[in-house]
Amino acid sequence: MKYHTRYNLSLYVLLAPFLSGIVILVLIPAALSLALAFTSYDGLSAPGWRGLQNFRQIIDDDLFRRAVANSLVFLALTVPLRTVVTLGLALLLHRSRRGIGLYRAAVYIPTVIPGVAYALIWLWILNPIYGPLNLLLNATGLPAIAWLVNPHTALPAIALTALFQLGEGFVVLLAGLQHIPDEYYDSAELDGAGQLALFRHITLPLVMPWLLLVIMRDLIASAQNTFTPALIMTSGGPYYATLFLPLFIYQTAFDRFRFGEGAALTTFLFLGVAALIAVTYRLLGGWGYDDSV
Amino acid sequence: MMTRSDRAMRQSLGFHLVAASITLLFAAPLVWVLAASLRQPGAPPPARIAWLPDPPAWSNYAHIFELLPLGRYMANSLLLAAGAVPLTILIASWAGFAMAQLPARARYALLTLAVVVRMIPITALWLPRFLVIKELHLIDTFAALLVPAWMGSSPLFVLVFYWSFRRMPAALIESARLDGLGALAIWARVAMPLARPATVAVGVLTFVQYWSDFINPLLYLKSETRYTLSVGLRVLQQMDLTSWPLLMAGVVVMLIPVILLFVLAQRAFWIEDQIGGVHGN
Amino acid sequence: MATERWTMRRTMHYCLMVAAMCTSACAPAAMPAVSTEAISFMISGDAAEKAAYAQLVDAFRQRQPQIAVTLIHVPGQSDYRKRLGVDFAAGTPADIVLINYRRYAPFAAKGALEPLGLYLAQSNLISEQDFYAEAIAPFTWNGVLMCIPQNISSLVVYYNRTLFQAAGLNDPQPDWTWNDFLRAAQALTRDTDGDGRVDQYGLGTEVSLFRVAPFIWQNGGHLVDDPLAPTRLTLDTPAAREAIQWFVDLQVKHHVTPGAVAEAAESSESRFLNGRLGMFLNSRRGVPTYRTITSFDWDVAPLPQGNSRAGILHSDAYCMPRVSANKAAAWAFIEFANSAEGQRIIASTGRTVPSLRAVAESPAFLDPGRKPANSRVFLDVIPFMRGVPVMETWVDIEDLAAEELERAYYGQASVDEAIATAIERAQPFFAPPASTPGTQ
Repeated sequence: MKYHTRYNLSLYVLLAPFLSGIVILVLIPAALSLALAFTSYDGLSAPGWRGLQNFRQIIDDDLFRRAVANSLVFLALTVPLRTVVTLGLALLLHRSRRGIGLYRAAVYIPTVIPGVAYALIWLWILNPIYGPLNLLLNATGLPAIAWLVNPHTALPAIALTALFQLGEGFVVLLAGLQHIPDEYYDSAELDGAGQLALFRHITLPLVMPWLLLVIMRDLIASAQNTFTPALIMTSGGPYYATLFLPLFIYQTAFDRFRFGEGAALTTFLFLGVAALIAVTYRLLGGWGYDDSV
Repeated sequence: MMTRSDRAMRQSLGFHLVAASITLLFAAPLVWVLAASLRQPGAPPPARIAWLPDPPAWSNYAHIFELLPLGRYMANSLLLAAGAVPLTILIASWAGFAMAQLPARARYALLTLAVVVRMIPITALWLPRFLVIKELHLIDTFAALLVPAWMGSSPLFVLVFYWSFRRMPAALIESARLDGLGALAIWARVAMPLARPATVAVGVLTFVQYWSDFINPLLYLKSETRYTLSVGLRVLQQMDLTSWPLLMAGVVVMLIPVILLFVLAQRAFWIEDQIGGVHGN
Repeated sequence: MATERWTMRRTMHYCLMVAAMCTSACAPAAMPAVSTEAISFMISGDAAEKAAYAQLVDAFRQRQPQIAVTLIHVPGQSDYRKRLGVDFAAGTPADIVLINYRRYAPFAAKGALEPLGLYLAQSNLISEQDFYAEAIAPFTWNGVLMCIPQNISSLVVYYNRTLFQAAGLNDPQPDWTWNDFLRAAQALTRDTDGDGRVDQYGLGTEVSLFRVAPFIWQNGGHLVDDPLAPTRLTLDTPAAREAIQWFVDLQVKHHVTPGAVAEAAESSESRFLNGRLGMFLNSRRGVPTYRTITSFDWDVAPLPQGNSRAGILHSDAYCMPRVSANKAAAWAFIEFANSAEGQRIIASTGRTVPSLRAVAESPAFLDPGRKPANSRVFLDVIPFMRGVPVMETWVDIEDLAAEELERAYYGQASVDEAIATAIERAQPFFAPPASTPGTQ
């Protein structure tokens, strides 16, 4: 027993760097940020207490509403599409066969591209005159699209760029699919089940916990990952069409030095993400940790 | 018999056709960037799509290294990553190992903590973290950029190690404990050698994270001599108005190391090898 | 198992090595020798501008070798402003920073800047009378001079002489009018390869309130009701409205400037540098870069005239954060930079229109052998120059006005709609108390 206690204690010692890091780098800053949300801090003079005034002001702000709406539209466009595409790719590429490594690598590579570089690449591809995408459209006789210049196409264009960085989810789903024993399929096939039936009754239920994990991850990521593309590709324009919450926070805090308001906006963002996750959790049921891990 | 192998062949052909076109789709942006980086700077827009500019302007690459000390920035980025990768692996694997070994209640509490931490928008932390870094007197040092390694760089990496260690046969660790080994010894001698794919995967992803990091250097670094490549790319974007080709050349320079590293290490990402490694019996 | 252990040991060894490397490399820059004072100086701008300031720092080093000046360079304007704000918030700003007169008010209002009026009064090297009063005035906050202006620049027309000649146009006359200007732009707008797409535009400009302002003034309009104590935007007066409509028509009616798509594909300034744009509106800051142009001849002309003459002040100043730990050394550098010698150095790089009369009138600025040949236009306009209001929330107002103007300029909204929305959205930023503005 003594050994047992000592062993558990030493486990906590191994855990200590990570936990202390979380406290210093995340929890304390997060608490600080929450406290700032109730002040009029501008970085130059001491923070002054404002109570709920920041929050009230934000709710009345048209740009805030615009940013929330844009963020939600982006989420609604990307999360389902990314999930379907990721699942499709994982289904296609989960079995070992000749050349599979190359195919999988091709799918994963866009994910390792640094955010700044990725945004610049797409800024070039979507360039309305020089860009290869419009040149390609011209070559096939299709009309060119103004992509990031037109207020109606700018947001969908950024959503399009998000469809290629799905490596993390892809790896998770590959693992999930490989966890399904082949015997399940063999016996079902003997029973004469078609491909669609196999997918519906065996693959989907068994891969569900993993899929849920991917969706959760995507919800969190999509709520934040709009920052670099919006900053580099559009600065939130044209006419606020790609003003997402993270960019709005960045502008409020670091362009305008209204750190208190920025902190209040951040609180909204955090609550929003938490709410989305809670809803998804309810809708799809269960963490999926217990059985999958 | 014949029809059956015929069908298999047709299926295989179909598979490769689909997979190859997907590969092409995912690779197209990279090819385009490479082509764009070889265009003559300042040339008017082309009338139609040109795959390889004629003549290719290889001098663009030389030119960006003259414009900016990209070599130095690159060395800085490499140094940063070289510091971050081992630290991250150490701290994340310790935490993952401890989580995997702790009793259920502590385990779930820690899992929840990891997930919640991942939920906090990083935007929320820019300013307060800046104040913390300042209090630690780390402004304008590499240490400021290295600081996230303290928490294993990302809760995700801790989770990856956690999953990897949970999948290990419990008997292995049991027997090590019966031999009276301590936690650190079991981590080093039993767990880590079996978690090599996870280690490689976390290593690669950590490298990518620090290689890509753009907001932290922007906030914390002052001296140009300490700039990293991602800041250099941003500098290049803001510096030269005329030059898509130069900018794209900068992008290619930044891409090569991560893509190379990924290609070399990619086996670690496909979990079947891990399963093979772990459940070898 | 032996190999495993060996690998582990090697890994550990590697970790230690990296850690050791890092402690040496990550430590702050080597401590300067005791007798040396170290200060930092932060600027923004492109490579040519950076080179100009590096030259200034070098000259100072020769004068006062005991003071080590580190030049901090942030290329982009918006990144620069972010750095300023973050640095001030962290209490770690550079000892000397360059700030535009449209943007120093928030810092001055919060007492973050060391007022420099007294320093200037006590200086043996420079005195306030040597400066153009038009440059000193905007940096005077509540009667105290906060920063030392380095320049008295303004908006002018950069034009491609080679394209002008090819189009059979004469060089612009000093008293040319809006109509002359439009006609030149029309003659220069051409589809050179006959593919139905314009490849060469007559004119290019940023679309912002700051760019439209001089035209509004020339037409007898105003930006705000009271420049000293503004309470609302007055873009809806007939004179202001007419000027804005004229500016917008350059794009929506006459198509002599790149449209939204063309501008996004390649910026006007880039087109000018590549010899595919006839005229470009900019301040003096473009000169160091334009001097690298070899493929065509270019010069500057004054803004065309409306009902009256008017120009718009562009000025940056050397400011000293109050938290600077080495104010004496910082002042020594500011003093040198704004002495005749210092201003001559920066002026000869082309970057500034010197704020010292003597230097502005000297060959360092007017040298006809260095482009632009017609630099005098920058001095001729000084008596007609006006500035935008100096107020804490002016940046917010300019930003939202630019968004609205752009909509009109690219045909997505009527001029009236844009003006009405801009005025409405700007209103909260005029409301007292100025230190706690409403959101947008």
